[in-house]
Amino acid sequence: MQTRQVTRRRVLIGAAATGLAIGTGLRVARAADPVTLRIAGTGVNQFKELADKAKQDLGFTIQYTSLVSDDVVKRAVTQASSFDLLDAEYWMLKKIVPSGNLRGIDTKKIKYYDQIVPIFTQGKLPDGKPVAMEGISPIKVAYLTAEKSKEFAKSPSQWMTVIPTIYNADTLGIRPDLIQEPISSWAQLLDPKFKGKAAILDIPSIGIMDAAMASEATGKVKYKDKGNMTTAEIDQTIAVMTEAKKAGQFRAFWKDFNESVNLMASGEVVIQSMWSPAVTKVRQMGIACKYQPLKEGYRGWASGIGVPVNLDGKMLDAAYEFINWYLSGWTGAFLNRQGYYTPVLETAKKFMSADEWDYWMEGKPAKGDILSPTGEKIESAGAVRDGGSFNERMGHVSVWNTVMDEDRYMVRKWNEFIAA
Amino acid sequence: MRAAARLTARPPIFWALALLCALFIAFLYGPIATIVILSFQGPEGGLVFPMNGLSLHWFAELFRPQSIGDIWGSFDRSALLGLAVMVFTVVLSFLAGLAFRRRFRGASLLLYLAIASLVMPSIVVSLGIGALFELLGIDRHWYSSALGAHLTWTLPFGLLIMFAVFNRFNPAYEEAARDQGASGWQTIRHVIVPIVLPSLVGVALFGFTLSYDEIARTSQSVGAANTLPLELEAMQTNATTPVIYALGTATTGLSLVVIGTCLAGVLWVRRRRARHGSDAGKAV
Amino acid sequence: MSRLAKAVPYLQALPLSAVFVVFFAVPMVLVVVVSFFDYETYQLLIPGFTLENYREVFSESVTYRTYWITIEFCAITWAITVTLGFLIAYFLAFQVRGATWRTVLLLICSIPFWTSMVIRMIAWIPLLGRNGLVNQLLIVTHLAQRPQEWLLYSPFSVILGYVHLYTLTTIVPIFNSMMRIDRSLIEAAVDAGAGTWQVMRTVILPLSKTGIAIGSIFVIAMVMGDFVSVDVLGGGQVASVGKQIATQLSYLQFPPAAANAMVLLVAVIVMIALLMRAVDIRKEL
Repeated sequence: MQTRQVTRRRVLIGAAATGLAIGTGLRVARAADPVTLRIAGTGVNQFKELADKAKQDLGFTIQYTSLVSDDVVKRAVTQASSFDLLDAEYWMLKKIVPSGNLRGIDTKKIKYYDQIVPIFTQGKLPDGKPVAMEGISPIKVAYLTAEKSKEFAKSPSQWMTVIPTIYNADTLGIRPDLIQEPISSWAQLLDPKFKGKAAILDIPSIGIMDAAMASEATGKVKYKDKGNMTTAEIDQTIAVMTEAKKAGQFRAFWKDFNESVNLMASGEVVIQSMWSPAVTKVRQMGIACKYQPLKEGYRGWASGIGVPVNLDGKMLDAAYEFINWYLSGWTGAFLNRQGYYTPVLETAKKFMSADEWDYWMEGKPAKGDILSPTGEKIESAGAVRDGGSFNERMGHVSVWNTVMDEDRYMVRKWNEFIAA
Repeated sequence: MRAAARLTARPPIFWALALLCALFIAFLYGPIATIVILSFQGPEGGLVFPMNGLSLHWFAELFRPQSIGDIWGSFDRSALLGLAVMVFTVVLSFLAGLAFRRRFRGASLLLYLAIASLVMPSIVVSLGIGALFELLGIDRHWYSSALGAHLTWTLPFGLLIMFAVFNRFNPAYEEAARDQGASGWQTIRHVIVPIVLPSLVGVALFGFTLSYDEIARTSQSVGAANTLPLELEAMQTNATTPVIYALGTATTGLSLVVIGTCLAGVLWVRRRRARHGSDAGKAV
Repeated sequence: MSRLAKAVPYLQALPLSAVFVVFFAVPMVLVVVVSFFDYETYQLLIPGFTLENYREVFSESVTYRTYWITIEFCAITWAITVTLGFLIAYFLAFQVRGATWRTVLLLICSIPFWTSMVIRMIAWIPLLGRNGLVNQLLIVTHLAQRPQEWLLYSPFSVILGYVHLYTLTTIVPIFNSMMRIDRSLIEAAVDAGAGTWQVMRTVILPLSKTGIAIGSIFVIAMVMGDFVSVDVLGGGQVASVGKQIATQLSYLQFPPAAANAMVLLVAVIVMIALLMRAVDIRKEL
């Protein structure tokens, strides 16, 4: 009995050890480095290629802490010491800045500050047209009153809350092979024809904007400012959505990039609010998918990189160095190819081929194959970017992702909507 | 001959329950089956049907560095953390189980604390631990704060399973040992442990599995370096890649191979013993 | 000697207690404190003492509706998992012979959970979705004319997901309870002329009730607090108390989330205390 158990145990241990060895033996060991920057954010722009390039150019080790967007805000507010740089969305700043966890970024130390797209520094587009102000338009939360301040500055100051990294104009993605009629309005998200085949975002601050765009387009609700609804407007919006939900309009609400891709690719959903790279991904699988421009305009969003308040000395210098490097072009070109826009267009342009630039930024037909940042072919010659050029797309943003003054009420209503 | 006798001795209920058990296992492996099939997607394929070609592309990708997400770095952390949690869960639950067999003051409080820890929504626990460490100015790591967070999740399971294990555990065994002059420690080591060993293996399995798959309690307590599930979850914010299916297929395949090998080993050892006329194997 | 002997259980319980105190009780004190704080949209914590958060939880009709939905899910899941868990544990304990095969079967049941939850959750779409494996199978075998949409993103799929996740957690304690049943009791019952079902009902069921109670505690606790499965398998359209708390937290509404969590904690503890009144899991230790 005793010996038998020993033998069996030995067999088990041996087998388990072999299993582990196979699992762990295949990695590459990494060398230690004097400067390691821990960047917390979603996976949206945490590419390994970027970290490798930073290592090569700056000698810094970039350690990503990839989080889902819910967790980013929580980390930012409750654990400022767990990261050295924070990549957050602009609407989150409304919540993060009052916590005092972000340190103003000295614009004088930002080499390309003057070349940052004026959406972030003046509230204007590069062609001089004003940017939509409904919702958290980036300029509203772009500056602090002082380096260590919990208040936003009303006009541009020396201290930026975050330096923009990526931004975009979102709209509905559709399956043109499964939808016959033309799609031209957000209202069609609620069209009973797509019963059981529509989806919106399950992140309330973004989902409510999809809902508002659709409700307004159907004419059922009128808003003074969709980005900052009154309680009555919230009630009406939720009423419209609850009615649609009860009628079985929505197949699912999605939370992350991958879910939206899977819903679309599997045919569970034929019309839904989407992100640009997700549309590209669906198309890459050989499935027809269109990022449909709509007459009511786009829902805009932007992310930026911020510095936690307690970072100082060598680490703070490193953070500035990293941010300056980020804006110097290579990264911009890389992320532009992902279908996002980046803040300093001039520097990014230098790292893109003329064909790439024309396709992504100018809305012109591609002359050759268009490759993704990681080198896979995503479009063939002749393809035109859905929605067209930078100016056409960003110029038609009509509302930004938001946090509302009435958000306590909104979240309560959202929970009611889910329970309905 | 003995086997034949055994077969005929099986009552109909055996076959009914065996069928139920087989159906249940098939149900458990339903999602795994899709994962396995789809892990052979072509290079252009996604995570859902239709299949877009057939290839081993994603298995090759699995062993290359990913553009988004660090699978192997987080795998190491998760495996080590899972093993640590496993050991702590077995030892701590076993000891506490022994304690509960005698009366001690605060026993009810401790039991309800454990149950509360099970009930409390994990994100709340996670935030609480993260915030506490921040307040105290202690850095969070997967091997400190996240280990603690995992234990708040696995220990209630371990403890309660120990209750089932020690339920109607015959004190005569211990008394006999004590009569023979065994010390308390010897009684535990040579009498109790061998009897409950299979159950301890079960608790260990539970502890590892719960920890290896934990997300919510880890999310705010882990510090800068993610565990595997967190890394995988974050990858979903920017990637749709069957690499994760390849990982699932590899994990499942490897586990089945390991278990199959162990089983074959045990059966082989047993048969050899039987041939040599040993009486081993008849017990249990 | 006797002094030392008295100290033994305290020493044995110490490590476990220490973990719970440091990593659970102390952080939870923070949560309790925060649940009495006030908050505004742009100021997340306003130290003070207000019962507003609790008042809000109890005065909103959505609270009751959400609890009702969650309890319904919990009851159905409990009934299925405990029945299934009991039968399978019975099979493992009394029908399967030898520790080796039992261990192997338990391991086989555990392996699916070594593929991360994140991955498994994604796999439900290609399994149950419109063009998923199950629907393809139904159509090929002419059991259905068109894809069955209720298979995914419905209360059905949520419960299916729970049964998938939690049955094993009922099998383990029930199995362990059954292993403690004195085999001679069963032989005596059989000798007295009891059939298999009768033995199961009159001998095994009452003697494994500790395990059943423990399995029930696991299932109740996990379903009541769940927000991940319900979200993925309900397509974000099925409410649960856990999801409600998660939504508030994602909006950084800490005080109401903390209050909500405390209410949930008390509600579930009461449920479990009632259960333990029926079956004292510590009685025969």
